[in-house]
Amino acid sequence: MAQEIFSQVNLPRVYRRRRLVNKIMLGLTALTLILALIPLVWIIVYVLIKGGRHINLDFFIHLPQPMGTTGGGILHAIEGSLVMVILASVFSIPPALLAAFYLTTHDSTPLASAIRFSTDLLAGVPSIIVGLFGYAIIVLAQKHYSALAGGVVLGMIMLPVVIRSAEEMLKLVPPDLRAGSLALGAPEWKTAIRVVLPAAAEGIITGIMLGVARATGETAPLLFTALGNDNYEIGTMVKQGIAHNQSIFAILGRIFEQPADALPLTLWKYAQQPYPERVEQSWAVALVLMLFVLALNILARVWIARRRSALQ
Amino acid sequence: MSIRKTTAILTGLIIAAILMAGCGSSQAATPENTAANGNAPVTLNGAGATFPLPVYTEWIQMYKSVQPDVTLNYQGIGSGGGQKAILDGTVDFAGSDSLLKEEQYRQMPDLQMLPIVAGAVVPIFNIDGVDSLALDGQTLVDIYMAKITKWNDPAIAALNPGISLPDEPIIVAHRSDGSGTTEIFTAFLGAVSQEWAETVGVGKAVEWLPDQIGQGVGGKGNPGVAQAVQSTPFSIGYVELAYAKSNNIPFADMVNAAGNRVTANADTMKDAMAAFADSFDDHLTTEIVNAPGENSWSLMGYTYLIIHMENTDCDKTAALLDYIRWAISDDAAAQKAADLGYATLPDAVRNLVMDKLHEVTCDGKPVL
Repeated sequence: MAQEIFSQVNLPRVYRRRRLVNKIMLGLTALTLILALIPLVWIIVYVLIKGGRHINLDFFIHLPQPMGTTGGGILHAIEGSLVMVILASVFSIPPALLAAFYLTTHDSTPLASAIRFSTDLLAGVPSIIVGLFGYAIIVLAQKHYSALAGGVVLGMIMLPVVIRSAEEMLKLVPPDLRAGSLALGAPEWKTAIRVVLPAAAEGIITGIMLGVARATGETAPLLFTALGNDNYEIGTMVKQGIAHNQSIFAILGRIFEQPADALPLTLWKYAQQPYPERVEQSWAVALVLMLFVLALNILARVWIARRRSALQ
Repeated sequence: MSIRKTTAILTGLIIAAILMAGCGSSQAATPENTAANGNAPVTLNGAGATFPLPVYTEWIQMYKSVQPDVTLNYQGIGSGGGQKAILDGTVDFAGSDSLLKEEQYRQMPDLQMLPIVAGAVVPIFNIDGVDSLALDGQTLVDIYMAKITKWNDPAIAALNPGISLPDEPIIVAHRSDGSGTTEIFTAFLGAVSQEWAETVGVGKAVEWLPDQIGQGVGGKGNPGVAQAVQSTPFSIGYVELAYAKSNNIPFADMVNAAGNRVTANADTMKDAMAAFADSFDDHLTTEIVNAPGENSWSLMGYTYLIIHMENTDCDKTAALLDYIRWAISDDAAAQKAADLGYATLPDAVRNLVMDKLHEVTCDGKPVL
């Protein structure tokens, strides 16, 4: 329609002016978009250039070498990050979803506002203080640093992110859908699981991804809880466990109860080293961390797209 | 309404249950290897001084092939952090080149410091075009008390005839964390200068006067100070010799107590240690700064592992003692330490440590 008006031969002046303003504004919008993208692209390109040179297969499958020697990898940090993020997800996602359901179904109860208030507070607590809390209640009580303690504090950091995004997503589910399900005689829990949750799944998963990305990138809370461990290697622990006829629980216990490293923790430690190999490796760690979070996002989107087409 | 209420109560209960389960499992989970299974693989966790970190990481790497079932983890968090960790009971052993205070022994009487290797603290510097420099104790005191603030100060020039020093402010790098390296460094400055001992003092962390005139910079751990000096033109700092050597950071010679200009190397370290051969106290600790020998390096210190004398986890204790025995007596381990620039224990000191290892008990019985 607009196209037709613009293409007429004798446009009134006012239309020509509007067209010009439209073009200028569109140009300005494009410019701000580019401005907003510059830092992101800059970071990605810079990290790619600085870190890309040191990425090879060895970097992913080997433990670190002593400082001052070349070679070695960051297998310990990759495995540590995975274990702690999985633990954090296990600790945070179920209670976060339950809280989000409660917040949407019981919008205005005093408990709901209390949950909302404390979620906001928790989101605002500096992550280093969450780490200190983890140190005080877990590390000091257990008398050792552990991946488990790291997982718990990362879970506390994920919790508010997941609650708030899941709540927003659940609110978007049309109330009629819920009402319809209830009217057909489905109990509330079945409505929640079979009707509301699938309808909001994409958004909730995106929220979880956000939380996971946040947890994967945290350094400060791990200083007090996971401490770091150059020799954190699940394969070795499993092999040793099997060789000594340990039960699966003993092996899992060892994996969870040891101090662990994480990608950002390794990046932080390597970047302050005087050894040039370590500093170069820290760029490579930065790249791995960045790609990991990126891959997480892409995987989530692909999964969502598949699910959406399956539903239709 | 009643359905809503029940759901509300149920949801609340489930959340509470999950939270409690989360806390409960983390509290109740037992540390690994407490099971009385003599064959179980053992993990030993330690943390502390960065002064010996290069040699400890090399040793841990080597020890994987000596004892494949023992995994060691040592994190360089500074001597102060290491002492806190062992007092909190969060590590199996700590590394420290700072000596425990009497009140810390009172707090946990079974703590024992064991000298493992000795090392030299060296003044490192970053002046474009200058790769050799001489300093003496008083000059170092004056630099770190912000009395000498420029590189072309007459006091520095007098020690370095023929070297053209720039008319630039000296940026003074120091540790920002509780540090045994700082304790060795300040002990030396305190031994040289009464004024230093009285105004600044000796310890793991002190107040740095150059900070007050904007010429100070802090670094975390030995690596942090080395990096600060590397990246700051016209700076000076102090680190363990291994960090200077392996990163090709120039370090200064020192005029020692006997008045001779010496450089930090195996000979001058051995000379300094010989001067203090009999100085170990009941805690098996000693300070070896400002040695009087003709050819002694002035800024020396032993680095220690802190362990418990009375233990309850016998697998762990046996593994730890085995490792320490290996570290101080194995030839390859000694060679690695020497290659990095550390000085291994004199025989007499090694014997003292060995004797002490035999006194370590688990459940009241000797372990070795």
